[in-house]
Amino acid sequence: MARITLENVKKSFGKVKALDGISLDIKDKEFFVLFGPAGAGKTTILNNIAGIQVPDEGLVKFDGQIVNLVDAAHRDTAMVFENYALYPQMTVYDNMASALRSNLYKKDEDYINKRVHEIAKMMSMDYLLERLPSQLSNGQKQRVAMGRALVRMPKVYLMDEPLAHLDAKLRNAMRTELKGIQAQFGTTSVYVTHDFMEALSLADRIAVINEGKVVQIGTGDAIYDLPINEFVATLMGDPEINIIPGKLSKEGSVYKFAMKGSGREYELPVDQDLFAKLDTLGVKNVDLALRPQHLRYSFESKPGYLPCTVYSYESIGNKSVIVAEIGGQQLRMIAPNGLRVKIDQDVYVDLDLSHSLFFDSESKDFMARYNEAEIRRIAEPEEEG
Amino acid sequence: MKSGPKLGTKILLNVLLILYAIFALFPLIWMVILSFKSDAQMYNTMFVFTPTLENYRIVLFTTPYPRYLLDSLIVSGLAVVVSVIVGVPAAYALARYNFRKKEDIAFQILSFKFAPEILVVLPLFMIYQKLRIYDTYFGLIWVYQLISMPLLIWVVRGYFEDISVEIEYAAQVDGYTWWQIFFKNLIPLIKPGLVSAALLAFIFAWNEFTFPLLLAGTNVQPITVAITKFLGTDTAHYGQLAVAAVVSALPAIIFALCIQKHLVRGLSFGAVKG
Repeated sequence: MARITLENVKKSFGKVKALDGISLDIKDKEFFVLFGPAGAGKTTILNNIAGIQVPDEGLVKFDGQIVNLVDAAHRDTAMVFENYALYPQMTVYDNMASALRSNLYKKDEDYINKRVHEIAKMMSMDYLLERLPSQLSNGQKQRVAMGRALVRMPKVYLMDEPLAHLDAKLRNAMRTELKGIQAQFGTTSVYVTHDFMEALSLADRIAVINEGKVVQIGTGDAIYDLPINEFVATLMGDPEINIIPGKLSKEGSVYKFAMKGSGREYELPVDQDLFAKLDTLGVKNVDLALRPQHLRYSFESKPGYLPCTVYSYESIGNKSVIVAEIGGQQLRMIAPNGLRVKIDQDVYVDLDLSHSLFFDSESKDFMARYNEAEIRRIAEPEEEG
Repeated sequence: MKSGPKLGTKILLNVLLILYAIFALFPLIWMVILSFKSDAQMYNTMFVFTPTLENYRIVLFTTPYPRYLLDSLIVSGLAVVVSVIVGVPAAYALARYNFRKKEDIAFQILSFKFAPEILVVLPLFMIYQKLRIYDTYFGLIWVYQLISMPLLIWVVRGYFEDISVEIEYAAQVDGYTWWQIFFKNLIPLIKPGLVSAALLAFIFAWNEFTFPLLLAGTNVQPITVAITKFLGTDTAHYGQLAVAAVVSALPAIIFALCIQKHLVRGLSFGAVKG
């Protein structure tokens, strides 16, 4: 159990800047998720915490103690590697027992036996214990890699995409399981993923990482509802959030939004806080962002609906996604399953603007959104007090 | 799609392989046959003759042949041991670490292997005379490193490169020291490559002729050089010569059979990588 702090950590590999001034404060017993696209530097952060790599600059602290010069063996972490890193010449049992047999974390064989079986049972892989890694499927290997970390009671669990190669059913089960394990052990965990569902469902807090920098840190709700810029907004959610460029104008006390693609002008629903904020910012060129669930469609013309054509229609199991197009602007929305939709047919779309977010068209930074105060209160409870 | 080659092709391939096998094996068979022939029957019989062990008796019990054999074993064996002790860490370094001129160094090591021995042997002869290591075990073992080390380093390096570095990280996180990781996790994984490379290095060292001929010859006499003694200036005892050759081939054959399991896999895997 430990609080882990990174202060302005920088790391380069040759000319490539992998980490460019990362500062994180991971609280004791927290489930902290590092989320970002491939190549963002998430794994490098993990390696720096584990002590596998040493930062070029900056400090890594465990409970306030600087551990930059402590080697990986003495940091008392347990890590799940993305490529499993199982020892090929050892059975699953020996793999899992490995750490408990090292001089540093030595336990007697009885304890090891009990513990390995306990964890194996929990991960429903006790029938695999006598096998060699080469006799396992990828999903099984991944579970063994997880199990190998979980047999220990380290200061911190470091997990690098531990569920990425599991099939969907097992992944959901393991997600629940993981959350339970973490709650039960209360061990600080740092979890790397590029799957926003995993990030949102597991995390106490999420750090969004991009190009070696921390973009935003916050609870899942905060990241989802109050993204700091368009990049974060588009990472979270599937189908992706709609980004609609346009122009803001004020007539009297009412704001209007002229959509660039269609040329249609919308009168924005009144929200005094929002309007006040837009007044102070005074930005005219904005991107209005709207989650797909806040778009309505109709196949018949209705007043106020925007006439578009169907660009694509994709069924994804329990729902489907319609992508409509107007003047080069694509609009994604969620529809029920089993519709008969043809490409290029007419579709009419209504935007529920009372859920929209506003980003500055130039800097792509977050400006304001509807119900901001209310959402902020829910999403950032601790920051309030 | 996967019907395999046609029957006719199969037969043709097998015939070709058999022809090649005969071509490759016949000299060896002929050598074994010769070793059982008496001098009297040497030139006037082909496959039908009265086998005799006389040649073996003469070579093994009346000449210092066993001593030559022992010299060869000492020199080749120790040369391989030194190569393993020095070469495995070198291969590890070349596989894992990035340092300046790394590829140049690796190539330099390999180039020892393809420089003709005769090219360097004369200067080496002078140096050995000066250093007083001419005609010593030490001197030969040293020069044999030119033969055994490059092979070992290149094969083992390929093996190290095939082991994902995360395995080492995982072991570090598990609380092991570098030495423990090296012996517990890495050595078992490179074993097939190490064994086959060491065996090949041993065979190359065993077969080495130029270096022992010119850098040794009195105190230390490896078998390859010593065999020439059976070819007298006036008489050629082909039977004894054949015995000497047959016996000298045995250690390599025995070793190869013992680790046959590792050999094919060991060389086809990892080693092929550039």
